[in-house]
Amino acid sequence: MHPRFSSRGFAASVAATAAFVFAIAAPAAPAAAQTSQPNLDGVYRVIPSNAVAAGRKNSGSPSEIKLLPEAAARAKSADLKEDPARMCQPVGPFRMMARENNKIEIATTSASVFILFEDVARGLLQKVDFNRDHIQSDNPDEAYTWMGDGIARWDRGTLVVETTGFNDSTWLNELGAPHSEALKVIERFRPLADGRFLEVTVTAEDPKTLAKPYTYTRYFEKTDSEIAEDICEYQE
Amino acid sequence: MKIGFPLCILAAAGIFGSAALGQASDPHADWAGYYAMARGKDIEGLKPLVNLDQLITAHLQPWALAKMQATDGMADDTGQVCQPNGPFRFPVNAGRFWWLPGRDKVIIAYWELNTAGVRRVYLNRKHPRNLLPTWNGDSVGHWEGDTLVVDTIGLNDKSWLFLGMEPHSEEVHMVERIRRIKDGSMIEVDITIDDRIALTSAYNFTRYYKRSDYHTSPSGEPINICNEDAKTWHDYREKYLKAVRERALIVE
Repeated sequence: MHPRFSSRGFAASVAATAAFVFAIAAPAAPAAAQTSQPNLDGVYRVIPSNAVAAGRKNSGSPSEIKLLPEAAARAKSADLKEDPARMCQPVGPFRMMARENNKIEIATTSASVFILFEDVARGLLQKVDFNRDHIQSDNPDEAYTWMGDGIARWDRGTLVVETTGFNDSTWLNELGAPHSEALKVIERFRPLADGRFLEVTVTAEDPKTLAKPYTYTRYFEKTDSEIAEDICEYQE
Repeated sequence: MKIGFPLCILAAAGIFGSAALGQASDPHADWAGYYAMARGKDIEGLKPLVNLDQLITAHLQPWALAKMQATDGMADDTGQVCQPNGPFRFPVNAGRFWWLPGRDKVIIAYWELNTAGVRRVYLNRKHPRNLLPTWNGDSVGHWEGDTLVVDTIGLNDKSWLFLGMEPHSEEVHMVERIRRIKDGSMIEVDITIDDRIALTSAYNFTRYYKRSDYHTSPSGEPINICNEDAKTWHDYREKYLKAVRERALIVE
C-alpha cells in the first residue's frame, strides 16, 4: 500500500484533478473596494531581536508560553527530533511569525489576504478571508487542518486575522509544546511609519493547554528585496 | 463551503487616504482569483489539449530521449517525493492556482504549494545577470495590450518537461502569452518552450484555466500539504532517492 502522502504526489494529483468539480464563483470585486484601509501589500523582513523599528523592539517568544500541567508533561516527553519544523512540515502561524530571518509577502484582494512565507514548506501560505464566519463542518478533516481557518477584518487601520480549526499536529514552540484543536490564533498587523514597518502581534489562546493566552510581538521592515526560492531540507 | 463572498465596501479615503490596496491602480486587478485547468466542455471550440508527452518527445535531442528512457519513474519523479516539480508539469497538467496581480509583479501561488511552489512574475525589471539556477527560474513579464507576456529562464535541470520525464537543460527558456477570454471567465496560456541543448526545436501548446471556486485538499487544507505524514514520507523518499544518489556518485 502506498503511504498516505503518495496519494498527494504528482501523478496521483493528476487523476484526482479529473474528479474535482468546480463551482463557478462570482468574479472578485475590484480591489479598490477597500481603499479606506492601509495598503499592507509588499515584502517584509523581520528585524533582529536586538534592533529597533519605529522606536519599538520585538518582545516575547513562543518559547515563553506557560503550559497547563498536563500539556507541560507532554512537552517534557516530546521527542524534539519529531519537531514538524525539522521535517519540513507546516509549523502553524503562531510559531511561524516568530521564526528568525523570517521574510513574508502580503498580497491582498478584495475578498482575501494572502500571507506568503519565504520558507514555503514550514510557513506555506495563510489565506484569510474577509466577510465570512469560520467554517462549520462535521467532517473532522475539514474542521481541523494544519493551517486552520482564517478570517480577517479591519480594526482602525489594523488588519486582524483570527484563525481557528487547527489540527493538533503542530507545536507551539521548538520545545514540543502541544496545543489542542481548541487553539485560536489572533494576529494583528499594524503598519507603522507610513508603512515602512509592520507590527505583528500574535496571540495564542487554548484553554486546554495554555494557562493563559500568550502574546508576542515582532516588527518587520518593508524591503525591496525579493522572496527567494527556499527549499526545505529534512533534518535528521 | 470555504468561500468568502466578496463584499464591496464603498468608502471614501480616510486617514490612510492615498494608501489604497496594492492592486487598486492596477488595471488588471480584476484578474485576481482562483483558477483551475479547464477541460471538456469548457474548452469546446478552443484549441484541443494536445498529448504533451508525444509533442515533447518528438522534439528531444537524442541524448535527452536516451535520458528519458533511462529514468527511474519513481526515484526520479521529484514531485512524487515531495520535492519541487518546476513550472513545466503541474501547471499544465492539473494546474490550480491563485492569480494575485499587482503593479510590480504577479504572484501565482499553486495549490500544490510544496511541489509547484509560488511563481512571481516581475513586471518592472529584466532578468538579473548571472542567475543561479532554481526550480522555478526567474520570470519577468510585460503587457502587450491585454496580453501578459512572461519570459522565464534560470531554471535548474532537475525538473522534467512533462509526465514522461522528458529532460531539459539549464538553457531552457519558456515564453507564456497569457490573456483572458470568454468575458474574463477563463485564462488562455500560450506556451513556447525552447532549449538549444535538449530540444531539436521549440514546441508550442496552449492551456486554458477557468476562474473557479477554490476548493480544499482532501484534508480540508486550502492548499495541498505533501508531507503530512513526515516519517513515512521521509522513509519513502529515502528509499527512492537512494538510487538517484548512487547514480550521482557513479557519475562523479
